[in-house]
Amino acid sequence: MSIQLLISGISLGAVYALVAVGFAVVFSVLKFSNFAHGGMISACAYAGFYFQRSFSNPPPIYLTIIFTAGVGITLSFVIDTIAYRRLRKKQSPNIYYFLASITMSILIVNLLTIFFGKNLYAFPPIFENTTFMIGKIRFSSIDSLILIVSLAILTILIFLIDRTRIGLAIRSVAINPATSQLMGINPDVTIMAVFAIAGALAGISGVLLAMKLSVYPTLGSQMMLKGFIASVVGGLGSLGGAIAAAILLGIIEIFLTYYFGSLSMPIILFVLMLIFLAIRPAGIAGRFAQEKV
Amino acid sequence: MKKYLAILLTLVIILGAAACSPSTPDPDPSTPPTETAGGEVTDPIVNPDPILIGCIQDTSGGASIAGKPNEWGVVYAVKWINENGGVNGRMIELHTRDCQNDAEVAVTNYRELVDEVGVCAIIGPPLSNPASAWVDLSTEDEIPIVGHFMDELCTTNPDTGETYPYMFLAEPSCSVQSYILAKYAMEDLGVSSVASLYNISNAYAVAHEKPFMEYVEDHAGSVLARETFTWTDTDYSAQAQKIASLNPDAVLLCDYANQMVTAYDNLRDAGYTGKILGANTMYPPFNTLVKNQPPYDCFFVQNYDLKDTDTGTIAELVEMQMTETGTDYPTSNVGFGWDATMVLYNAMLKAEDPTNGPEVREILESQTENILSSGGKYISIDPATHRPTLDLGMYIATYTEDNEIVCLVYRTTDYSK
Repeated sequence: MSIQLLISGISLGAVYALVAVGFAVVFSVLKFSNFAHGGMISACAYAGFYFQRSFSNPPPIYLTIIFTAGVGITLSFVIDTIAYRRLRKKQSPNIYYFLASITMSILIVNLLTIFFGKNLYAFPPIFENTTFMIGKIRFSSIDSLILIVSLAILTILIFLIDRTRIGLAIRSVAINPATSQLMGINPDVTIMAVFAIAGALAGISGVLLAMKLSVYPTLGSQMMLKGFIASVVGGLGSLGGAIAAAILLGIIEIFLTYYFGSLSMPIILFVLMLIFLAIRPAGIAGRFAQEKV
Repeated sequence: MKKYLAILLTLVIILGAAACSPSTPDPDPSTPPTETAGGEVTDPIVNPDPILIGCIQDTSGGASIAGKPNEWGVVYAVKWINENGGVNGRMIELHTRDCQNDAEVAVTNYRELVDEVGVCAIIGPPLSNPASAWVDLSTEDEIPIVGHFMDELCTTNPDTGETYPYMFLAEPSCSVQSYILAKYAMEDLGVSSVASLYNISNAYAVAHEKPFMEYVEDHAGSVLARETFTWTDTDYSAQAQKIASLNPDAVLLCDYANQMVTAYDNLRDAGYTGKILGANTMYPPFNTLVKNQPPYDCFFVQNYDLKDTDTGTIAELVEMQMTETGTDYPTSNVGFGWDATMVLYNAMLKAEDPTNGPEVREILESQTENILSSGGKYISIDPATHRPTLDLGMYIATYTEDNEIVCLVYRTTDYSK
């Protein structure tokens, strides 16, 4: 049973990781937690659902994911233009970013509710069986896919940031935007690239979460708390740390729920988090991107 | 000369004003039918003012899947009443509000409808949390509320056992539905061990789970696990694995649609292959939303047989609602809205003044008998509980291999605790 619980915990953690990475990538450069990410995930889930429904024969899921990634990028630019760009130009205080991102998240959820209601919609199943067995251990098909996608995203992002010119630009803007501008890097373009990455992640997350759960307005925002915790515990701005923390969070949650029940679980979980952060404030990664929260 | 002219003008003005005044007085709603010298009864003078009724449903919150068709049912019933002569000639004017499945918003809705709009009665939602917030308000304001708030706490004071005077339920309560389901499971399906997986923060779920377990324990069944979750949880894998390891004959699920779907999938993913017993929220779109397709061995209570086109009007109502609103799946709540409105309408028809809260309340309590529901059954309100009498039962439904809903039997219960 313990191994089965461990697998379930990793599966649950993979879902949190998907959200946490979106948080971490924006924080790593812009140094604020983009709570609008949850709303973007929901919006992309709807986009993917209606994209699939617009064909008499639904297209393969990877095409839907590519489409929603595009929608996510577009939405990300729109949100940046509406909510963040002016704040950056005016070098506004950190709290303004926080309020702007929360506002955008609520706005998106409410717009989705107005246009689509709170009815649930289901993606057509992509797996014939929702679980598969390896030995005596049962694995969830969709959770396994989510875990693979999360790890693939991590690998691609690490490659992108460490080995490409745009990655170099992102790192330099993350360290010092003014100096990087003197070195010939355009911070605005770099920030747009970061938002494009975050938007694409929201698009991918939207479809995968919708396939696991269903499509509804609060699909993404209900995951934000756990995603945010994972990104903080992982070390704010650290992609690898966020994924590691998310999986750890999933495992702890499953074991606590199993042995202590769902009511005691959040109390014990949050106490553990507080103790961990008191001992290691920089998170699992041991470093955090400084400044804003 | 000027003096005569002024007197003449004054007389003209007075006579003119008299000529322009109404020839008949404003009709009085309390005017009784009058008899002519020949003994014939003339038509009473009908009050032209509409009867203002409120309707509070969750049309944007977590239970809007049920709330929207419920509201549609109320709107359609009022339209039908008005097209068929209204309440003894008086039209009904309906004012709808969205409580968002939030008790605080529901109180604001109530105050607005009563204080600002001036409604004389309210059709309530199929939600217990908002309705329980109105029990004192409705007594204070003398506003009858008829609805589908199935938790018995909405109609009866749990401490004294006395009814809340202005609260009336128009379908079997949570307890009755759970007793019927438990009885069917034990007697017809041979279930002897059960578990439950439910949202402990949801009054609807709690009000179903407790009586179900009481029935099972009182009938020599064994309760192996009572696993819970809360609103913020999105995954119940741990609870599902615990239940699967105990392998009860059946598991009770009694939440709203999205929690039911997750609970069902988590149980099946955990390897549980036994029977799943469900509240009436297991109706579509549950069967289209679960990932483990098609759902199997599901047995759940249903207020209406939506496929029975011979009994009642529910099939016709549901079809109309689906066409008008573009809904993909049939929902029983259309019938809830209709039935609650008809129960209130019946009382208003019998009242001398249908806007008089205490009078309508008295009739609702003591004279609500055999009101034909949209499902073709009869609703009679028990004065001792303000809920339907126990001869109003529920269907037991299941999903076929083709993922079609089918009603198996109609059951009542005389068990009570």
